[in-house]
Amino acid sequence: MLSRVAESLYWMTRYLERAENTARLINSTTQVLLDLPKGAYFGWDVLIHVAGLDALIRERGLKVDEASIMAFLIEDEGNPSSILSSIHYARENTRTFREVLPMEIWERINGLYLYIRDNARRATHSRSGRYDVLNGLIERRQSIIGLLAGSMSHDIAFQFLKLGRNLERADMTTRIVDVNSAVLLPTDPVLAVQTMERLWMSTLNALSAYQMYRRHVGVHVRSQDVVGYLLKDPHFPRTVYHCLSEIEGCLEVLPHNEKAMKAARQAYRRLERMQLGGLVPVVLHEYLDQVQADLGAVHDALSRQYFYLHQQQEALIAPGQ
Amino acid sequence: MDIIHDNYRLNDAYDELIGPDLQPRPAARALFEYLSGEDWAVLGERRKAVEAAIMSMGITFTVYSDAGNIDRAWPFDIVPRIIALSEWRRIEAGLKQRLKALNLFINDLYNEQLVVKDGVFPIEVLQGSKNFRAQCQGFTPRFGVWAHICGTDLVRDKDGTVYVLEDNLRVPSGVSYMLENRQLMKRMFPEVFQGGTILPVDDYPTQLHDTLAALSPRPGDRPVIVVLTPGIYNSAYFEHSYLAQQMGAFLVEGGDLVVKEDDCVYMKTISGLRRVDVIYRRIDDDFIDPDAFRPDSALGVRGLMRAWRAGKIGIANAPGAGVADDKVVYTFVPKIIKYYLGEEPILANVPSYLCMYEDQRDYVLANLDKLVVKPANESGGYGMLIGPRANKAERAQFADLIRENPRNYMAQPTLSISTAPTLVDDKLAPRHLDLRPFVLQSDRLYVTTGGLTRVAMKEGSLVVNSSQGGGSKDTWIVDVEGA
Repeated sequence: MLSRVAESLYWMTRYLERAENTARLINSTTQVLLDLPKGAYFGWDVLIHVAGLDALIRERGLKVDEASIMAFLIEDEGNPSSILSSIHYARENTRTFREVLPMEIWERINGLYLYIRDNARRATHSRSGRYDVLNGLIERRQSIIGLLAGSMSHDIAFQFLKLGRNLERADMTTRIVDVNSAVLLPTDPVLAVQTMERLWMSTLNALSAYQMYRRHVGVHVRSQDVVGYLLKDPHFPRTVYHCLSEIEGCLEVLPHNEKAMKAARQAYRRLERMQLGGLVPVVLHEYLDQVQADLGAVHDALSRQYFYLHQQQEALIAPGQ
Repeated sequence: MDIIHDNYRLNDAYDELIGPDLQPRPAARALFEYLSGEDWAVLGERRKAVEAAIMSMGITFTVYSDAGNIDRAWPFDIVPRIIALSEWRRIEAGLKQRLKALNLFINDLYNEQLVVKDGVFPIEVLQGSKNFRAQCQGFTPRFGVWAHICGTDLVRDKDGTVYVLEDNLRVPSGVSYMLENRQLMKRMFPEVFQGGTILPVDDYPTQLHDTLAALSPRPGDRPVIVVLTPGIYNSAYFEHSYLAQQMGAFLVEGGDLVVKEDDCVYMKTISGLRRVDVIYRRIDDDFIDPDAFRPDSALGVRGLMRAWRAGKIGIANAPGAGVADDKVVYTFVPKIIKYYLGEEPILANVPSYLCMYEDQRDYVLANLDKLVVKPANESGGYGMLIGPRANKAERAQFADLIRENPRNYMAQPTLSISTAPTLVDDKLAPRHLDLRPFVLQSDRLYVTTGGLTRVAMKEGSLVVNSSQGGGSKDTWIVDVEGA
């Protein structure tokens, strides 16, 4: 496997996963807004904050009302993390390694790009259109994962696809969880608890996790239970814990995996040690930052080990340009 | 419904599918029987479905401009071009003969140059060749073959004669469209392919693979083959990626390869460097190795020529093969065939005038309004003068160019190239076309079944290049006798 191709595969699924999770994040937030009682407040800028895009918004001088933020997150090609940009990058990346993927994959990714290009406008302009279009995107993305699972050899290329997907997914799960820590609750304590319950229900729904949570945890939707579930449950495929174990599984079949494995296990151990009982929002936010940093360290280790030969070439060319 | 009488108007060109009596030619009869059972609305719908399939399959070529990169869908016409198997067998034999002779010629030019010493090929043509590479002299690649992949352009004149228009021996492209066109047709018209009279085209990737594998310097049945592309910004990138995918080869860019002190070529993989055996390069000679050719090339691999000359890597086409891809050299091909093979050429050359010879130049200058003038080394239809369609000023300008650099120009009479029915606004109209079969040679000789038919979509236009508004058709070789 060429270093350059491995890196492109890795980023291709990261972009796809980012687009899917941004769609989930937006859907969840739109739901949250509908459920908020009087006296609770939620600002759209929170989305920008959890997506880590504050600086770009400031630089661009964009307004932080619903319409502007939606346009920025969904169809703004000047935002490298917007849904349209992510899928565009994924598609361009796919072009460079079509030969390692099953043939139909390119058609599906190309189709996904055409879909979002043609529907992005509808998604930014009305809430009902938004839900529809974003769900369509999630469906198409899921069918790509299905096709890969069912028609691609679980070879080295497959491992890099899986690594990118799980790293991005774990990261985005922490960001989606983080949204709720920014909601200002009503002062009435009963109403506050009810509100919190609704918020977490929306989060679980956004991650397609509600049903599984009810089966495996219980019918009551309590902050600490939900956070514990989404971070530490070993079996649900969007939890940080599960993603980390998938990452470990991929690393096991790759050559020279020592450093990346070490970083993954470090992230693992820190996650296991986190005490989530009686958690206040500020501390939760810090915990989530820590998880994101640990995932970043796994990425750095992967990058140094496997993409290095390719990047070295870039470094050699760069000074002359 | 009689689709031919209603809509079709023949001009003086030969029509591939429809005879002078306005009846389908024998090889096209089954198609027209099928078409007359369909109504036009259905055909229009099929065409829309094909266009949608092209978009979703992402069969595009990229046009780069200031306004951003545009992926243009590959323009495709759903009416196939049909050739009878009996005629095709003769063309096939002619193409093999031609490539065999051309390879003997190239090898001779880089070694003893007997063809020059024997007075068959003039030394001044060789001296004026832009594509002769001194870096290749005194070397004989495996099997003595330099051009492993050749795209030969064929046209048919009004009397029905098939002529060779040019031999593309550098990095000919288009074969992926030939393969995709057939996929599209099978998707859209599965019923016409039943019965097995249309010969399949899909063994090309396997043949290409085996042709390349034979060049491996290391024995063993699984050589490491790579397709070397200039990258995603090249207009043929789709094809590079497609062929790599079809052959199970690695698609690499110059930066992925490195030549070490042992003269072997390696690619950079996630577990370190891995030795490469054969490179199918889709980069021009000028750019493949900054040590040997253009020092400013960032697309190539430093030391590649050294590795090749040391016999540590197979390269297809071999560096320097383009010496025979020159429109002046072209005029000598019939003589070249006779000289090396002792055979009469099976396929005809278009009669040509070489501007380097005074008498022929005078004729060309006096008859510019009747001739097509071509520069020796351009491709893609650029830099040509089509005399009958040019104005006085353009002809005067060309006359100056010819006088300035006569070796660089040759001229041919304007052929009336053939047409085939093409769906235009829901009606069949004749459009001009050519045919590019692909010929392979290493330890074997192989010709694609048919090739890529390119069609000028504009009425009366003779320019079939995709960069200039041409489209393509599926090409059927039909076994009429066997049906």
